[in-house]
Amino acid sequence: MRARRAKLIFPLATLVLLCSGCASYSDSFSVIESDMAAQRFGAALETLERQRHPKRDQLLYLLNKAMLERMNGDYAASNRTFEAAKAGMEELRGLSLREQGQSLLINDATRSYAGEEFEQVLVHLYMALNYLQLGERIDARVEALQVDERLREITQRLPENRYTEDALARYLTGMIYEEFGERSDAMIAYRKAYEAYRRYGQNYSVAVPESLKHDLLRLSQQMGLTGEMQQYRKEFRIERWMSADELTEQGELIFLLHNGLAPIRREHAVTVPDPASGHFVRIALPYYESRPTPVDGARVTAGGTSASAEVAEDIRAIALKDLETKMPAITARALARAVLKAQMAKAARENARQQNQNNAGAAVAAMAVEIAGLVTERADTRSWLTLPSRIHLARLPLPPGTYTVKVDLLGDDGQIVSTQEYANMDIRRGAKTWLSPHWIPSTVTPPRRSQ
Amino acid sequence: MMGFSFRINSSLVQALAVSALALSIAGCGTSVERIDTAEVKDLSGAWNDTDSRLVSEEMIQDVLSRDWLPEFTRKYSKKPAVIVGEVLNLSHEHVNVNTFTADMERALINSGKVQFVASRNERGEVREERKDQDIHAAEATRKPMGQERGADYMLKGTINTIIDTSGSSQVRYYQVDLTFISLADNVKVWVGQKKIKKLVKRGNLRY
Repeated sequence: MRARRAKLIFPLATLVLLCSGCASYSDSFSVIESDMAAQRFGAALETLERQRHPKRDQLLYLLNKAMLERMNGDYAASNRTFEAAKAGMEELRGLSLREQGQSLLINDATRSYAGEEFEQVLVHLYMALNYLQLGERIDARVEALQVDERLREITQRLPENRYTEDALARYLTGMIYEEFGERSDAMIAYRKAYEAYRRYGQNYSVAVPESLKHDLLRLSQQMGLTGEMQQYRKEFRIERWMSADELTEQGELIFLLHNGLAPIRREHAVTVPDPASGHFVRIALPYYESRPTPVDGARVTAGGTSASAEVAEDIRAIALKDLETKMPAITARALARAVLKAQMAKAARENARQQNQNNAGAAVAAMAVEIAGLVTERADTRSWLTLPSRIHLARLPLPPGTYTVKVDLLGDDGQIVSTQEYANMDIRRGAKTWLSPHWIPSTVTPPRRSQ
Repeated sequence: MMGFSFRINSSLVQALAVSALALSIAGCGTSVERIDTAEVKDLSGAWNDTDSRLVSEEMIQDVLSRDWLPEFTRKYSKKPAVIVGEVLNLSHEHVNVNTFTADMERALINSGKVQFVASRNERGEVREERKDQDIHAAEATRKPMGQERGADYMLKGTINTIIDTSGSSQVRYYQVDLTFISLADNVKVWVGQKKIKKLVKRGNLRY
């Protein structure tokens, strides 16, 4: 008996070693999360650099790095990293039979992470915001065109009920075109944003932002689309809005608050004995756990006028819905894996039985196959974890000048959670000034072990 | 005893080890190969050096062969001075426009028929130096302010793209328009155009 136990140690040790490689991705992120919560983005970057990133998680590493660089205020570096991430996504377009095979034999997390569709679109959104922050409007416009291309590709590929439009990305591209004086492109983008927000209303309960309504009215009026303008007037019940001429006399502050952190994927696993054989079967599936934020809105004040920020993108809701629509496929793969692993364990046991009854090696090998099958069954808990939970938007038209912008972050019943001031914000005539800070609550979810 | 299955296992392990080694050897070590700048190497289908070169070759050849140049020289009996303005990148990609505007600048200067004056970005430092000379340089070598040569024409342009994608195939169409605009009266004396079209096919499978 002792000899047998000794022989067991070797394969078990190997398994333990193997398993250290498949520890759930989301669990390894808690250190970075607490750095972010303490607003120590530089330290978070260092931690990220210290961690090991297997080749299959390279894209996630780049996305998180770019986002942390952005939070750290290094917009140029952030865009260089995002550009590398884009190249990585491009490389991962094709289907890898090798990885498909692995995902069926081992688990889904062995596949290269190519980003969910909404994450791919948000890369362009954040790059555009970085460029706008740097004052490089031409490059922001390039990103706007790429958003269009990306969304077109996704619409072609995916069915209606999936995430195929991004309202905020559309809205942002509209603002970029409008600033370039490209009114027809801007109008098309605003219309698409409006359509997308109406779908957001049904899917994620995000309403059409008031500022977009005003944009639609202003631009349709300016372009002489009277019929369309009347229709919007009736729909929105808005009678007064700032005309295009009035707006070009002024400058505008565009405030985007990147609030909280996107939900995190955890693993839910069940191990049950198969009644037919008496051996164990394990199935592990991912689910989203929200990372709550106390901030529910924001009020932006500059030069005596103020505007309240509305929810323009609910990444949390998009992520939840996205996983929900992908769940049938994920479950089917997990079941296929369970069947395959059970078959392999059974074959190994048969093999051991056919051999000499005293053949300890074969028995150990058979047990190792079974244990490996159980232990390697892990859910794919990878996602872009530095994304915010929600993005709030406010537009504030202001006479040209230099302002100190005050931002009150509001809780769910309107109380002020935190106040931030941004001094020396230049508002130029007929131009947009961008301000898009991140807010990460100091109360993060405590690190927890997956079962 | 446990002979058969283990013998297979060990040969399998050996095969795996050898292939893993082969893979890791193939993967390690940086290799650098110098290639001619004129060689066409298309990797991703995005804008690259070849596109830039095609644009500058076409534009240079065109701009030197047109009538605006001899006409200007005849009328004013001097070489026209050109300033490089902004080439707007309205394309889907982050294109570096400096490569072909620099190519054009060089070819035009070397032709001996056109002069270039420092562009908006370049002249700041020159002016600072002149201001500095005013205080520190000897009288004989001092360059006075207000003596800059004003440009006669400005080189401006746009890059536009149309991208059509279906499945794994993509048609990428680039159109580069460059123009010389007279600073005296806004007349466009030359418009050059280069169109590039590529068909990019992406593999549906990867390793």
